[in-house]
Amino acid sequence: MSIKLEPRNQALGRIDSDMVLRFSTGERVSHWVHAITFFALLFTGLGVLSTFFQPALTLVGGIQVARLIHRGSAVVFIVVVGLMFFVGNPRYHWRWLKSVFNFTKSDWQHVSAFPKEFFGGHGAYPAQDKFNGGEKINSLITILGSVFITLSGIVMWWAPSFPAGLVHWAYPVHDLSMFVMTASVIGHMYLGLLHPDSRAAMSGMLSGYVSTKFARAHHAKWYDELKNEQKDV
Amino acid sequence: MTRKMVLVDTSKCTGCKACSVACKAWNELPAEKTKLITSYQTQKDFTTKTWTYMTFIEKYENHTMNWLMRKAQCFHCADPACLKACTSDAIAKTDSGYVVIDQDKCTGCGYCVENCPFRVPKVDPVKKKAYKCTGCIERVENNLKPACVQTCQPGALEFGDREALLVQTKKRLAVIQETHPRAQLYGEKEMGGMTFLYLLLDSPEVYNLPVNPTIPLSLTLWKDVVRPVGGIALGGAAAAVVIGVFANLLRGNYRPSDNKVDNVPHVKDSKEGGED
Repeated sequence: MSIKLEPRNQALGRIDSDMVLRFSTGERVSHWVHAITFFALLFTGLGVLSTFFQPALTLVGGIQVARLIHRGSAVVFIVVVGLMFFVGNPRYHWRWLKSVFNFTKSDWQHVSAFPKEFFGGHGAYPAQDKFNGGEKINSLITILGSVFITLSGIVMWWAPSFPAGLVHWAYPVHDLSMFVMTASVIGHMYLGLLHPDSRAAMSGMLSGYVSTKFARAHHAKWYDELKNEQKDV
Repeated sequence: MTRKMVLVDTSKCTGCKACSVACKAWNELPAEKTKLITSYQTQKDFTTKTWTYMTFIEKYENHTMNWLMRKAQCFHCADPACLKACTSDAIAKTDSGYVVIDQDKCTGCGYCVENCPFRVPKVDPVKKKAYKCTGCIERVENNLKPACVQTCQPGALEFGDREALLVQTKKRLAVIQETHPRAQLYGEKEMGGMTFLYLLLDSPEVYNLPVNPTIPLSLTLWKDVVRPVGGIALGGAAAAVVIGVFANLLRGNYRPSDNKVDNVPHVKDSKEGGED
């Protein structure tokens, strides 16, 4: 398996013998920049969540340094991931957006079978697309959470420039977004690292490729489409 | 210590500003350059170094001018929004009714500034600490009057036990209302009952004070709903993961098998024996 160079904004030949390219370089860069800055933001934000966490912030040099890292990470969080929608090979970012906001009946069927899967059982659901129902929900939480946490964060950063009523509401919105995103991340990491079936997806976020076996078993609809596309080329 | 009270009787105030000088002297606060805001008012707002100042309002009615003066400082609420908003347990309330900021614990987040209905606390952008009137707690606890009260010449400021002073204040109000029908108390019930209670000659809005100051709804939702429910949600997610790992262990899903992925009947059709 060789790493393919990605031509600017063009579709990639995706199936390569027993491996399938699931995530382009751009998608992986976005994912990991988001992940690393998310945890940096979460850790440096703990100091204002509870005094219990304040001693831990001596690790980064105290709460005032933590505040600077928080704001610096926030800029990277927004700017880099935002840019990935426009530079390099952004078509997959837009496809992802389009896909997760198109929540279909088969997604609902996946979601209702999901609790069983989560605890190691096997639910029945129709063949899934590149993103299954659960992944779409995780994506939606991430997208909406990022939007709300960013908007409220901007208001909190420049509080004196905004009306007091808006600043008051920014605090609960910022916290609520954090709680929802963190709960989602806990589940996301379990599925990516610890869940016996779904952790096979992890390689997709590292090398970009997943095994053909995995693609067929978990994302049959997507795999079949890819196969047809490749036949046409 | 019993609940204390400072009465600010605006009917006796002459606007001499000695209280703000005494405050600066006792608390060792440096003077700041001032400029005229209205005819006699020289300070627009609180600063980290100015914890009390005089407001002057000229109200014209029937071709006569009412000159309304008010000493502004922290009200020391019984139900303080700043304390609820503080992220660092730096704001405390004493039995005597004082609300005090501990600058050693303060991180300068400024949430108290935003949530105080009167925007009293101010954050020093360099020191990253919030400051406001202490009510001269260290004097009061040593049986001295607050510096502003001590210095007030016309007797517009009075200090005492809340219960007794409140009775006296209501008698004074009845007298004042004969000449000033709109005179009223401000701070008896507001924000749970304030330690610095005002006898105003007119309605609060004339003095640019909120008529019904309250803890912002957003603050209550944030601290009493979002935080506890969010914490439970995170605990729930973590518990689900632990249960998930154990459930998979018990089901033997972690045992290596050659055809693990193929065994998974994820596709409905395959499970139902290929209907179509």
